[in-house]
Amino acid sequence: MEKDMIVRAENVDFYYGSFQALTDVTMAFEKNRVTALIGPSGCGKSTLLRLLNRMNDLIDGARVEGEILFEGRNIYAPEVDPVEIRRRIGMVFQKPNPFPKSIFNNITFAPRLSGVHRKSDLEALVEESLRQAVLWDEVKDILDRSAMTLSGGQQQRLCIARALAMKPDIILMDEPTSALDPISTARIEELIDKLKQRYTIIIVTHNMQQAARVSEYTGFFYIGKLIEFGPTEKIFTNPSVKQTEDYITGRFG
Amino acid sequence: MTRQFKEILIKNLFALLAFVAVLVLGLIVVFLFREGLPLFRQISPGRFLFGTAWYPTYDPPEYGIWPLIVGSFTVTFFSCLIAVPLGVLSAVYISEIAPARLKNVLKSVIELLAGLPSVVLGFFGMVVIAPWLQETFDLPTGLNIVNASLMLAIMAIPTITSISEDALYAVPREFKEASYALGATKFETIARVIIPTALSGISTAVILGMARALGETMVVLMAAGGAAAVPESLFDSVRPMTASIAAEMGEAPFRSDHYHALFATGMVLFGITLAFNLIADAISNRFKETGSGTL
Repeated sequence: MEKDMIVRAENVDFYYGSFQALTDVTMAFEKNRVTALIGPSGCGKSTLLRLLNRMNDLIDGARVEGEILFEGRNIYAPEVDPVEIRRRIGMVFQKPNPFPKSIFNNITFAPRLSGVHRKSDLEALVEESLRQAVLWDEVKDILDRSAMTLSGGQQQRLCIARALAMKPDIILMDEPTSALDPISTARIEELIDKLKQRYTIIIVTHNMQQAARVSEYTGFFYIGKLIEFGPTEKIFTNPSVKQTEDYITGRFG
Repeated sequence: MTRQFKEILIKNLFALLAFVAVLVLGLIVVFLFREGLPLFRQISPGRFLFGTAWYPTYDPPEYGIWPLIVGSFTVTFFSCLIAVPLGVLSAVYISEIAPARLKNVLKSVIELLAGLPSVVLGFFGMVVIAPWLQETFDLPTGLNIVNASLMLAIMAIPTITSISEDALYAVPREFKEASYALGATKFETIARVIIPTALSGISTAVILGMARALGETMVVLMAAGGAAAVPESLFDSVRPMTASIAAEMGEAPFRSDHYHALFATGMVLFGITLAFNLIADAISNRFKETGSGTL
């Protein structure tokens, strides 16, 4: 019964100042699977995602209670270095955010931080990461060009490649296709399907079809609470909570 | 009065005011050249620019402004050596590191510093820094390059800090988040993402700070010592172009060669500051084209 769970949230409460954004969230994410977090705007799904790699640390007045266990270790324990956590848990954002540097230097940003400096190593990493993100064939001849010259969809795949170059265990995606056209979206979804063989993916999405298409597990959030969590097929065909059904069938949200 | 007529009236009124402002500035430039150019009937531009002797009141007079140009650039260079690191780093601190409350205090202090009258700084250089330099280093005079550069640096820091801070502030939040999410520390994010992204804006700030130091008059008049000779050491006195114009214009007979020579010096100064501003403009334009991370 017990599967290989890479991350667990245990009774997590989260506050922005005095505003409580998450209430008593307990859920576990299975390794090498795609888990989708859905729910209406402001329900706390992005907040939870950002808690998993301690991005919320950057916000003044943010406070966490409960535990988030990554491979059995609480990442909010005082002795844990958030930088170390972020290197193991990569993130892709809603809006493609490549640095205004060359494609090559975008990919090598994280490896250089962790001390990879040999040119041949960096070149190999760039090719490997771009191939994994299915971008290599499009950019292999223009690696010196600014990443800003790429299209939105290419920029987002570059951002995925950039996160992959860090060799993370988990990739968090915060509405990664909401700023993209349908064709780019389809390519990113194909990519997610391919990447789950090697990585655990947790994706926040507003697009319910997307959640149904790409994920094995789905968690539905509403006003800071995890309402229902289970296999995607069950959530979408036979939800056990009325609120979930109402949201999925479009009756509210 | 119809609405349409009002619109036309307002449009033309603004056009007129803008035109007057530009016209006045244009006329000043015309006047500068009208009063400066006649000098070159007496001596060649080459001898004027590169002549090493500035003896406008001797008989026969010498109008070589090379020592003045060197003086201007020397104090500007050394003031930037002090002001650029201090100005840029304090901008980084204010924009990226300081807690919100301290940030506001520092910003107002920097603005206050910008409002400090230059005569006050010159006076400070004259009565505080100069005697101290003279005693500490056993010099004939404390009014020298070091003194003037220090005072000019204090004048240039607010310019450099506030423009750099704007540039740093304009770095999109997404870039910082991307950097942190890739496992960069705060320092790595500042050094590898924020400063490189803001670099064009910071360069603009530096050049405008230099232009400010180069054009500054009162401080160098009071603290640079006023010797019209090419300096040989940091503790030599110099006579920058601005100081020379300010000091001598009152004594130069109207429309004499000396008078024309001072206006010609003004032309040179105008050319240099114009060049600085054009460079700053070109850099910040390039920034606009490539800086933002839009789709």
